[in-house]
Amino acid sequence: MSSNSSVTHVCVSSVSVAQRAPLHLMPCEIEHNGPAQVSQYFTATMKECKYEKTVSFRGRGLKGQELSCPEGYTGLVLKETNKSGSDQEDRTVQVSSVFDKLTYWNLETPPNSDDSVVKAMDWPKLAEAVSYFYLCIFCRC
Amino acid sequence: MDLSPFDKDNSVSCRLASQVPDICKTEDCCLGIDEAGRGPVLGPMVYGICFCPVSKKEQLKNLKVADSKTLTEAERENLFQKLDEARNYVGWALQVLSPNTISTSMLQRTKYNLNALSHDTAIGLVQYALDCGVQLKEIYVDTVGPADKYEDKLSKLFPGISVTVRPKADSLFPIVSAASICAKVARDRVVKGWNFTEELGEVDPDYGSGYPNDPKTKAWLLKYLDPVFGYPQFVRFSWSTAQTLMDSKAVTVHWDDDEEDGEKAAQRQKNRSMLSYFNASAGGNNQNPTHQTHRFLTERRLKNLNTL
Repeated sequence: MSSNSSVTHVCVSSVSVAQRAPLHLMPCEIEHNGPAQVSQYFTATMKECKYEKTVSFRGRGLKGQELSCPEGYTGLVLKETNKSGSDQEDRTVQVSSVFDKLTYWNLETPPNSDDSVVKAMDWPKLAEAVSYFYLCIFCRC
Repeated sequence: MDLSPFDKDNSVSCRLASQVPDICKTEDCCLGIDEAGRGPVLGPMVYGICFCPVSKKEQLKNLKVADSKTLTEAERENLFQKLDEARNYVGWALQVLSPNTISTSMLQRTKYNLNALSHDTAIGLVQYALDCGVQLKEIYVDTVGPADKYEDKLSKLFPGISVTVRPKADSLFPIVSAASICAKVARDRVVKGWNFTEELGEVDPDYGSGYPNDPKTKAWLLKYLDPVFGYPQFVRFSWSTAQTLMDSKAVTVHWDDDEEDGEKAAQRQKNRSMLSYFNASAGGNNQNPTHQTHRFLTERRLKNLNTL
């Protein structure tokens, strides 16, 4: 673990004003951090048949599926307003948008329940069960 | 020629066909195959077949169909009109391969090259004619690749039909010229009236011939480059012209199947490659060796975060 001692504050008040935004999880790494013409190029060419969505990005075929956040959870898109130079200083991030579902895309392969992001959504339930289990052990000691 | 089925969804491959003349179902027929738009970086590639009874070859010749490349656009439209008027003995079918189909095929994980795509498309069209009941006896094909191998392949696939594969067949056999005219007319019309699915507002239609060396095409490609998405689906992403422009003017995109040197890729992801183990002894391993993340978590790409 790093020796990072700074604290990151999430500006909670920004949650209520944050807009719900569509989110796409891409199967590639795009060396870009900033706005992009998603609706003009991407959403406009997306196609949907039955449960599967298709689109292409940079000439490569993608297949996607909508995925909901685990119950009781909200996804946050965070944006750092004043980025501090040193890693000792505290940081503050604003919630720029929120989401309760996202579309995740695979390169050519149809989405399925074995995909890591789908399986990741199992974690909150399991974590809850595990902590309950630990609690039981603790009580019996 | 009704192109509306393709215009409705120009991101996929689409078949367009004339009525099959009754005479073609009863008399021995010849069939020509040609393509249009193999080279351009813009727009679809169109494969065309044209067929007529062997007994009507002379009549077809008298229509003065010639290699579509030697004709002007107006002459081609005119000749297509003539073929259309001869619909009681001439039939045609086209496969419009959208630029998006070409891009996604050629850039597939397991590469599907243009030659294989072309062959499969041609074979599909011949099979279509057979399925429609056309009594095929002779096939004439124009080719850019090695003719012998292609001829063998087609002869094996269609036993009992004489197959002739020739470079420049479009100027040697009127039925191939007819096929080339159908294909070229369709490509020209599709390119001219391209319906951009992307929301780009008014798109400058001055994209020239679509060939990479056409200055107008080059200028258009520079104008319509998006730093993130690259190009609209009208462009063949698999063409080196498009790739080179994106490499220099758009942001870099990495895919998990990129042919990137293992160590370089690892470095990019700020990971350590196996090889770095053999390098300097310094660089202490930050990770606590006694703590190994359980497979349950790694499979889900879940990890502890203590900083953003």
